[in-house]
Amino acid sequence: MTTDSIIEVRGLVKKFGEVEVLRGITENVRRGEVVAIIGPSGSGKSTFLRCLNLLEQPTEGSVIIDGVDITDRRTNINKLRQEMGMVFQHFNLFPHLKVIDNITLAPVKLKLEKDKTHARETAMRLLERVGLGDKAESYPVQLSGGQKQRIAIARALAMNPKIMLFDEPTSALDPEMVGEVLKVMADLAKEGMTMVIVTHEMGFAREVADRVLFMDGGIIAEQGPPEKLFSDPQNSRTKEFLSKVL
Amino acid sequence: MNGILLWFSEFGASFAESFEKNLIRQDRWLSLLRGLGMTVELTVGAILLGTVLGILLCLMKLSSVKPLSAFAKGYIRVFRGTPLVVQLLIIYFGVFGSIQALRFVPKEVAAIVAFGLNSGAYIAELLRGGIVSVDQGQVEAGRSLGLSSWQTMRYIVLPQGIKIAFPTYTQEFIVLIKETAIAGYIALEDLTKKGDIIRSRTFSPWLPLLTVAVIYLVITTALEIIFGRVERRLRESDNR
Repeated sequence: MTTDSIIEVRGLVKKFGEVEVLRGITENVRRGEVVAIIGPSGSGKSTFLRCLNLLEQPTEGSVIIDGVDITDRRTNINKLRQEMGMVFQHFNLFPHLKVIDNITLAPVKLKLEKDKTHARETAMRLLERVGLGDKAESYPVQLSGGQKQRIAIARALAMNPKIMLFDEPTSALDPEMVGEVLKVMADLAKEGMTMVIVTHEMGFAREVADRVLFMDGGIIAEQGPPEKLFSDPQNSRTKEFLSKVL
Repeated sequence: MNGILLWFSEFGASFAESFEKNLIRQDRWLSLLRGLGMTVELTVGAILLGTVLGILLCLMKLSSVKPLSAFAKGYIRVFRGTPLVVQLLIIYFGVFGSIQALRFVPKEVAAIVAFGLNSGAYIAELLRGGIVSVDQGQVEAGRSLGLSSWQTMRYIVLPQGIKIAFPTYTQEFIVLIKETAIAGYIALEDLTKKGDIIRSRTFSPWLPLLTVAVIYLVITTALEIIFGRVERRLRESDNR
């Protein structure tokens, strides 16, 4: 165990009724590391990611974020979630709020920003950063999928998180919009953000990730640096999966 | 041709006579107007009480605290499963009639309570329908930002749920206006009762009650138009 781990997962098991979706996962993520999780559908990738911020309650095992055991009942999970941004496959922007209010809602309500004016300034900066400075006053329905996802990233960043979790961020996008979202994510990785990304974008995983986890049947079947895992997989399931998707 | 004209003139004369007898004489129009005032008072009182109650009941029913949700469930079952007239009678004669401290409370208060308690059950359900149809992803997005479950409800789910429930809510308001017509059961003189009183005095079967019906129709139609406008405003964020 390295002291530099920002995420430590110990013996994580998740059951939905009788179905064991995660069958004992132990894994660390270092500060500033970019980890991509790949694997066939139903292998537990999303469930694993969702256990990291307790959108799913683990059945067994512990998840330690920056030294705090989040599976401990005494932990203030709301406080911890502020430090972990999450980006969803279907964006989940708040349709009743303008883009700018989507971004400022949580920082204002959680008193992360001094006042609304400061929150708006931060939000505008983030919007510029994802290339959507002109969309502040739009409603989500007026945006394309790629734009929505970039707003969702900006919204998560407004909480100034230490970790960003991405749950298949480009899977619901039209192909021509995938690039603009991946670019924002690659920039984020370059700035040193700790990121855990469930993805089907093998090219992106190869280029941006420091490490790739291959999940199959509720366990991490194989892992390693992308160049190794993609060009010289050891596990037969990994080989089979990669032969299908690459 | 002549026959038709004659019929019209006779009809016109008898209509004018009936109009004078049923609406003008003894300021009967004023009596209807007072009745309308009572109808409005009952409706507005009941919708206010019903809305507050409905929101509470809805949150209770959605709550994970068992006794709260069980209470809300039972309440809604009872008030939606029995006739409103029966509820009105029980609350007026039973609750307000037999409890000493409530004996001298004005009748209309008892009626507002009865209509409000009933309306609360319906509003709770229509509101719940709106809330549960908000995508679960919205809750996850709110929670993942660190908002508490109450904050997520208050700032993300409720505004969207209310918007979805709004058309049904306005319908409930319009239904309530018509339902207060049973207030005559406890001798309250609302619009319907006033019309019926005129009928019993003038023995005219048509004009007083038709006038009452037209007044209801004008009000409900006007409200439909107003609510329709508000609905379009609410949909602003859905427009491309």
